[in-house]
Amino acid sequence: MPMTPASRGDVDVWDRSEMEPRIRHILERTVRLRDTGPYRPKSDAEVMAMLSAFFAAKGLEEFSISDVERMSGGASKEQFAFTLNHREDQQGERLVLRMDPLEAIAQTCRGREGEIQSIMGNHMPVAPVRWFDADGDLLGQPAVILGFVRGVTQPSEGGSAGVSGMGGRLGSLIDRLAPQYIDALAVTHRFDWSRAHLRFFDAPRAQSNQAAIWQVNWWSQVWWDCLVEPVPVVALAERWLRENAPVCDRPMLVHGDLRMGNFMFEEPSGKFTAVLDWELAHIGDFHEDIAWTMQKLFGAWGDDGIFLVSGLLPRDDFITQYEAASGNRIDPVRLHYYEVLNAYKCAVMDLGQAMRAAAVSNNHQEVVLTWLGSAGAVFLNYIVQLIRKG
Amino acid sequence: MLPSIDLRIANIVKALEQAVLPALTARERLAKDQVNLCIGHLQMIAQQWRWAAAFEAGSFQAMIALAEEMLPSVDASYAEELGQAIATAKAVEGHDLAAVEHAIVALGGLIDRIILGEDGQVALAPAIWEAVLSYGEKQSLRERTWFAATGLDPDRKELPSIAEVMAG
Repeated sequence: MPMTPASRGDVDVWDRSEMEPRIRHILERTVRLRDTGPYRPKSDAEVMAMLSAFFAAKGLEEFSISDVERMSGGASKEQFAFTLNHREDQQGERLVLRMDPLEAIAQTCRGREGEIQSIMGNHMPVAPVRWFDADGDLLGQPAVILGFVRGVTQPSEGGSAGVSGMGGRLGSLIDRLAPQYIDALAVTHRFDWSRAHLRFFDAPRAQSNQAAIWQVNWWSQVWWDCLVEPVPVVALAERWLRENAPVCDRPMLVHGDLRMGNFMFEEPSGKFTAVLDWELAHIGDFHEDIAWTMQKLFGAWGDDGIFLVSGLLPRDDFITQYEAASGNRIDPVRLHYYEVLNAYKCAVMDLGQAMRAAAVSNNHQEVVLTWLGSAGAVFLNYIVQLIRKG
Repeated sequence: MLPSIDLRIANIVKALEQAVLPALTARERLAKDQVNLCIGHLQMIAQQWRWAAAFEAGSFQAMIALAEEMLPSVDASYAEELGQAIATAKAVEGHDLAAVEHAIVALGGLIDRIILGEDGQVALAPAIWEAVLSYGEKQSLRERTWFAATGLDPDRKELPSIAEVMAG
């Protein structure tokens, strides 16, 4: 099979220890805690008690928590809206508690999410981060507390979104949403992470295959840690990804999950109110984000039968507009590599992590996990098509 | 008449749709979402249950066929073990669902090991790459069809019916 030419900074493509340290911590924690389940959805009273202990530890005085309301949406975190009043804020603020069940479709870090979302709030609309508890030291389980943002992820009329915001239609708002979507991607990739003093992130070397191998090792470790049933195409994809890992010239901030369903806007203006779900953010190759958003499962067919990337733009228009906004040039070879990597990641999430979490009853909504897990074969089919093309 | 599986599924769906869902307040969004997904799962199960054992057995046979196709091209160090694993798999009773699932894990585990070649130490012959891709193409079509009713597959309109897939 084709091998990518070696670069001086390259790492051994089979060295499974090549992984971002914080990611390794999260994956090891997942395995360590797996047997402490099953997980039970939290009641409103339990959430009140957790938040009370947390705010007391944070030194808030004369605080009250009210109107606790469980939220729907998302396939990963358990979420509650609530109102917090305290001595310094008598008027009160509506907030969202977003916390980890024992296991979800993706095991990620609330510290990373909270840190990067705080910073990116200076560059684009995101939900403001009020607090985060990276390892659950105070709340009992890892969580981030965000300001409540108003808006929708699908038009109220005719959006018809499926689970996790996928498969919807953005209708007449497309022309207003598409430029903001392109801009969010471009701003993310232009962000100078090297000056941000990030505490929860490490960066792979430039001019090296390390960015790609860190991702392959992350997701292959998830697969082998979660294995429910062997899937030969997943193993083949892992080998292909190792043997074809490309050099990343200049690592950039990658959102990791920017797609339909992960941006919120107000109606009727279509103005973005928040770019959501930064939990998969990392420093890596920007082609990963481009390939992610181009996945068929995250797009929609237009009325004219043309496939729209993230339900917004035909593929060629998307590439042209992204290149103009970001100044980045899309390399078709690297794009192809990251299309395989992303299909692999999705297969690992659907057929690996989601199935393991559901099988051991470690989530708060297993019916969602088994529903999404059923899409695993869609990604296996993509992997086959893409490797054949490559 | 005993209550059939189809009748019981239909009854549960009706109860969820007409008694449980209306009883949930607007605030109970997660509960509503989950009831709707339960209904969706049950409607899919109604389409699938008659074929479930045959579907699993078909997946197992496809994996055995893949192993047989790999056998002439595997590195010599794997040949004997793979040959034995194929013989063991063929001896499994196809109607015993638990035995089939167990055998898929055993044979699939060895296939995975051969594909990874002890983490790249052992080369993978081009014929095996092609065999796995060809198997993956056929198997993913079966599995996509099995779950087409979720509506998640963007190309679901191109898929055959479950009955067509099971007819081979």
